[in-house]
Amino acid sequence: MSVAVAERSAAPPQHALRPVISFHGVSKVYPNGTEALRDVDLAIHQGDFCFLVGPSGAGKSTLVRLLIRDEAPSTGRIFIDGQEVSRMSHRKLPKLRRKFGIVFQDYKLLTRRTVAQNVAFALQVTRPGQRHMREKVEEVLWIVGLEDKLDKFPDELSGGEQQRVAIARALVHRPRIFLADEPTGNLDPDTSWGIVQLLLQINHRGTTVMMATHNREVVDLVRRRVIAIDNGRVVRDEAEGSYLREGTATL
Amino acid sequence: MRQILASLWFALHSAGQNFRRNLGVSLAGVFTMGLIIFLVGGSLLFTHSVDTVLQGQEQNASHLKIYLSDNASLASITNFESRLKHDPRVISVTFETKDQAKQQASQNQSISNALAVLGSNPLPASLNLNVRKLTDLSQFNAEAKATPIVDSTTPTDYNSDVISKLNTVITVIQWVGAIIAVILLTISIVIIMNTIRTAVYSRRTEIEIMKLVGATDWFVRWPFILEGMLGGLLAAIFSGAVVFGAYRLFVQAAQGNLLSVPFDTRYTITLLIVLLVGGVAVGAFGSFLGVRRFLSA
Ligand SMILES: Nc1ncnc2c1ncn2[C@@H]1O[C@H](COP(=O)(O)OP(=O)(O)O)[C@@H](O)[C@H]1O
Ligand SMILES: [Mg+2]
Repeated sequence: MSVAVAERSAAPPQHALRPVISFHGVSKVYPNGTEALRDVDLAIHQGDFCFLVGPSGAGKSTLVRLLIRDEAPSTGRIFIDGQEVSRMSHRKLPKLRRKFGIVFQDYKLLTRRTVAQNVAFALQVTRPGQRHMREKVEEVLWIVGLEDKLDKFPDELSGGEQQRVAIARALVHRPRIFLADEPTGNLDPDTSWGIVQLLLQINHRGTTVMMATHNREVVDLVRRRVIAIDNGRVVRDEAEGSYLREGTATL
Repeated sequence: MRQILASLWFALHSAGQNFRRNLGVSLAGVFTMGLIIFLVGGSLLFTHSVDTVLQGQEQNASHLKIYLSDNASLASITNFESRLKHDPRVISVTFETKDQAKQQASQNQSISNALAVLGSNPLPASLNLNVRKLTDLSQFNAEAKATPIVDSTTPTDYNSDVISKLNTVITVIQWVGAIIAVILLTISIVIIMNTIRTAVYSRRTEIEIMKLVGATDWFVRWPFILEGMLGGLLAAIFSGAVVFGAYRLFVQAAQGNLLSVPFDTRYTITLLIVLLVGGVAVGAFGSFLGVRRFLSA
């Protein structure tokens, strides 16, 4: 595996007074009684890059779903950009979601559309009739390194390339916060590394990035902020952490 | 403007795609909707025709004889008669004297003989009333009873039993018609709902992405609503044409036979418009319900 760690931002992020994401005593109990998150407190600042680590079932995806208000917390409050999302009305959700770019383990690409059409779709359904759509699409596809695959269909691409298309689609409306929920879950180590490099590059351009993963090698190589979750609780939050607690075999 | 056109284009394009991708389900939905619209339109036209014929019959049936007491003065009779004549519910009033009543009755031989034996004339004079609506008869009957110059033992020839039975039958037919219409309407909505559910299901990834990137609910909804409206419109056009053709055949066939049913052009045009608008509205509403559950996340 290549160890060419992506360049870091020269200066540490200038923390605004107000974090871009904050959780205050957040718990989530699903209707079936599962306690997915318990009393979570978090603050993430504009321009941060952080890993959300923990075993399967720890509550990582739940945390992501609460952020985009796909689910509402059972108790506690969540703020994005100073706006409380935990009690946000249904009507305001589209505006909230446009602040995020999000990708998942399954790429959620539309198989009947080309690469360029998949990316353009995000603009068509949020800003119909927007001018210079083609240029914007080509620009993000260039950022993810797929400028020569515009007219290919998803099933003509490798897994890593498909995830890049998903990343391009999530980037095309210039989100403030980029969320990746196990983006490398279906990829081999080299390809995974490429995706992580891309996320670091996106972060380098000023976007806040949060990546949920249980890919130990990647986390240990990058050495950025690590938030570890186990059984719904934040058990560790380090500025330059590794996957496991230093010198132990536990989170 | 550009934005509205782009949204509209997106919605129409997706609606067309949905229709084609689920062609079997879409066509089955349109066919069943068409059948229901045909039933509704056909039964409305049939009822209207029967109604037209019945109305003609009803005018014949809407007669009431008000018997006058023998000692009523001519002035009071004339007064009562003119009051009835000016009532808007009344078509005509004629005065029948005791002699005319006797003459009328004497057409029957045995009655004629009986009258001859009696010598005097026991038959009362009467006001013969012809009203527009059968259902008004009971009111005139009540009014007659309260009038002093009317014979108190037998005020009228009103046969409340027959008339109330007729009224009941008419009311029952109207209710049954209304209930059947509501059931058919509900079925249409459920059919559209399920057609749209299939379309929603085949587009679930697309909808998921739309919600993730921040499309509004209405943006997600419109293609499906348009698809439902399109289906309703198609169904209404086809079944409307069939209803129209069947109605013309029915009128032609009836002309030669039992009753002459008039071809009511104004009613037919109104009905066809109602079917079109109704088909589109049911399509839109069914689709709205079909996507609702999926969007309320
Ligand atoms: N929709 C749901 N309904 C009920 N339980 C759920 C739901 N989603 C997740 N869970 C449960 O919540 C816990 C946390 O799940 P999740 O957030 O998906 O964890 P992770 O992403 O870390 O693997 C698990 O026990 C999971 O089974
Ligand atoms: Mg998960």
